[in-house]
Amino acid sequence: MDLLPPAATASPPRLAPPPARDQPLRRVLREAPHTLHPTLWLGHQMGRQADTTCASGFAALDAQLPGGGWPRRVLSELLLRQPGIGEIRLLSPCLTAIQRSGRLVMLFDPPATLSAWALAQLGFDVEQLLLINTRTAQLPPGRPEAVARPLGGRARSDRGLSSEALPSGDSLWALEQALKSGHVGAVLAWLPPRLRAERLRRLQLAAHAHDGPAFVLREMTAAERPTAAPLRLALRPAGADALGVRLLKRRGPPLETPLRLALPPVLSSSVREHVRARFDQGAAALQGATFINLASLL
Amino acid sequence: MLWVAVHLPLLSLESFAATLPAAAADQPLALIDAHRIVSANAPAQQLGVKPGLKRATALALAPHLTLAQADARRDEEALSAVAHTALAFTPNVAIQPANDAVGAEQAAPDTVLLEVQGSLRYFGGLQSLLQRLQRALVPLGHRLHLANAPTALGAALLARVHSRFDGVDPMVMQRALDAAPVWLLGPGRAHWEALQGMGLRTLADLRCLPRSGVARRFSAALLDELDRAYGVAPDPRVSIVLPPAFESRLELFTRADTTEQVLYGTGLLLDRLIAWLAAQHAFVCRFTLVMQHEPRWRRDSQTPRETTFELALAEPSRDRAHLLVLLRERLARLVLPAPTLELRLHAADIARRAPPNTELFPTPRSEREGLLRLIERLQARLGHERVQCLAAVDDHRPELATVVRPADAQAVCRAHAAVTTGSTAAASPADDDDSTEPAPGVKVRPVWLLNEGEPLHERDSWPLLEGQPLQLLSGPERIESGWWDMRLVERDYFIAQLPDGALVWIYRTRQLASNPRPGWFLQGRFG
Repeated sequence: MDLLPPAATASPPRLAPPPARDQPLRRVLREAPHTLHPTLWLGHQMGRQADTTCASGFAALDAQLPGGGWPRRVLSELLLRQPGIGEIRLLSPCLTAIQRSGRLVMLFDPPATLSAWALAQLGFDVEQLLLINTRTAQLPPGRPEAVARPLGGRARSDRGLSSEALPSGDSLWALEQALKSGHVGAVLAWLPPRLRAERLRRLQLAAHAHDGPAFVLREMTAAERPTAAPLRLALRPAGADALGVRLLKRRGPPLETPLRLALPPVLSSSVREHVRARFDQGAAALQGATFINLASLL
Repeated sequence: MLWVAVHLPLLSLESFAATLPAAAADQPLALIDAHRIVSANAPAQQLGVKPGLKRATALALAPHLTLAQADARRDEEALSAVAHTALAFTPNVAIQPANDAVGAEQAAPDTVLLEVQGSLRYFGGLQSLLQRLQRALVPLGHRLHLANAPTALGAALLARVHSRFDGVDPMVMQRALDAAPVWLLGPGRAHWEALQGMGLRTLADLRCLPRSGVARRFSAALLDELDRAYGVAPDPRVSIVLPPAFESRLELFTRADTTEQVLYGTGLLLDRLIAWLAAQHAFVCRFTLVMQHEPRWRRDSQTPRETTFELALAEPSRDRAHLLVLLRERLARLVLPAPTLELRLHAADIARRAPPNTELFPTPRSEREGLLRLIERLQARLGHERVQCLAAVDDHRPELATVVRPADAQAVCRAHAAVTTGSTAAASPADDDDSTEPAPGVKVRPVWLLNEGEPLHERDSWPLLEGQPLQLLSGPERIESGWWDMRLVERDYFIAQLPDGALVWIYRTRQLASNPRPGWFLQGRFG
């Protein structure tokens, strides 16, 4: 006993002293519950991310995301009615940053052919993208065949291709393997429609091992059903080179007003200004616009 | 000299059990020879089946007994896998030839000898070497007798009587040999009756007799063998040499109808392959599995005699679990044309390299390996053509400017490693996100492409998409190319906007003599 310092003999050592011992617990809970446990937060506060996040590249969006960016080790669900409304441009700052840090980005079942040139324009290293395509057969190099895709305006039957597509279990299996391995930098997956909740839950569990953002893109009607992913966004076009983002679910208070983000531009600024003015006037004005003097715009 | 003898007392039975499906290996099994039981496994012995019983008696005791005959070639393949495993511990490995020359049929050898004097220091002493040897032999699934002694023959003889014998000291070995039964000596087996009649039971009894008399009554070979066992006469052994290519076969006892059964049998062949690889510090790059089918299955002459199935690895490997996962995924996709009777595994393409370091914390190297394995696994299950890479091609026609091709796992991971080791602080070229203008001179392309233009409806020769009018925002950009490969396109491209604001890329074909029906087409969407 003599060898121990007097303080040790006086009180048993504590691993973590309780925060602000003199304050009542209620006050701690009200003001800073995260000091008790990192995953505790109040409904009107923004939740804290246990891990660091990946900056989305859009300041307005970062301000509304818990932790200030896309979360790691969990699924982030993006709901959109149809591919091609600006979702790749929304994610490109985050994904290209991950590529530049030397990690692999994997895309699962992209709904249409990706253009290597367009991706390069967005800053992607095209060689460092890995595509897992379980829905259609591989296109012979240099001789692309017609692919019936949901991208087309008309609903084209893709019965002819369904014989070549693997069962959807295979694509989920591949996604789960990639998440579980923990060696992939970021994952972007287009999930099959009407996915059962337990399958998504299984993916969410696998994502715990995945040190990076994992985006799953789903159809808009999935918003009616609960999700296992802690972050859920609904994307909708909001004019030329702009995207409306509604945060349907986050670790924090609900956000009433949708965000409007300016995407990396496709159009030149003069055209965009012109279009934005018209877009803000409303769809009715657009209906009437049947003629633009292109020469004056270019 | 210090010899370790690995004796497999149940080799024939175990090598037979390996040819059975997984569920049948725990059933009563017995080997017969000339209508008499030679050996029986534990479940059969519990039912009272003993060596020496007649076939009919054994079947009366255990009606579900599976009977088979020993196969010298089968035993030899199993024993060579044990010898290959032993080669990882010492270069001097010999197979003790079988000496039970009973009748015309030569029994298969069942003992492997290792000279380990030179390896003791490296492996940290005899006990730890024996432990590691036993552990290395576990996957092959044999029951082992281990004995060590200063002479090769002494160790081999003592391994037959003792399940574990430690005789580093020559005196200990001599005493143990003195007490050993006399039937152990090979040539003495022929004179077994005579020796019995003379009241000789142990080797000590035999050694007490005058040498000239023994040599005259029996043979000089018996004396010679006695001398070699006791270390009086020299006993040189020729070490086995690894074959340059691995080849092993497994004849299945019951035909395998499903790939799952094939996979079970392949597991044993993989264990043998790994023993062969470990002996030479090598990793396999590709191997071939040949499944020989039942001939004349359903009297169909179209059925192939065998299915050959090659597995090439992106990264040379010796990991049983990884190889088995790859095989499982590939075999699951395979449709067997007929039941399989025999499996052969062949491997010649190997890479010799230092074994990987075991790492506590993740490093770029371990991450690269993990990535490679992930890609290999995905390729094995989904097929090579479904794991893809993009490449940009210099072509003006958008449908030909991007090529999708099967990914090369090595290339992806090599580039990945290069980036990781390179400076991560390199200034990002695309970081000027503040620019609100696409770079001048660069033609903007949409991310999502339709490989074939989707015809659009028109209203007053104005394009409609999903019944909604499109507003042309930018264009035209004329692409006129491809006259050289007969896929001429003559199009004017526009960026157009849907009423909700999404941007699409459409084109109008030019009205020419070659193209009588001009019209609007959807080419892509700006994702």
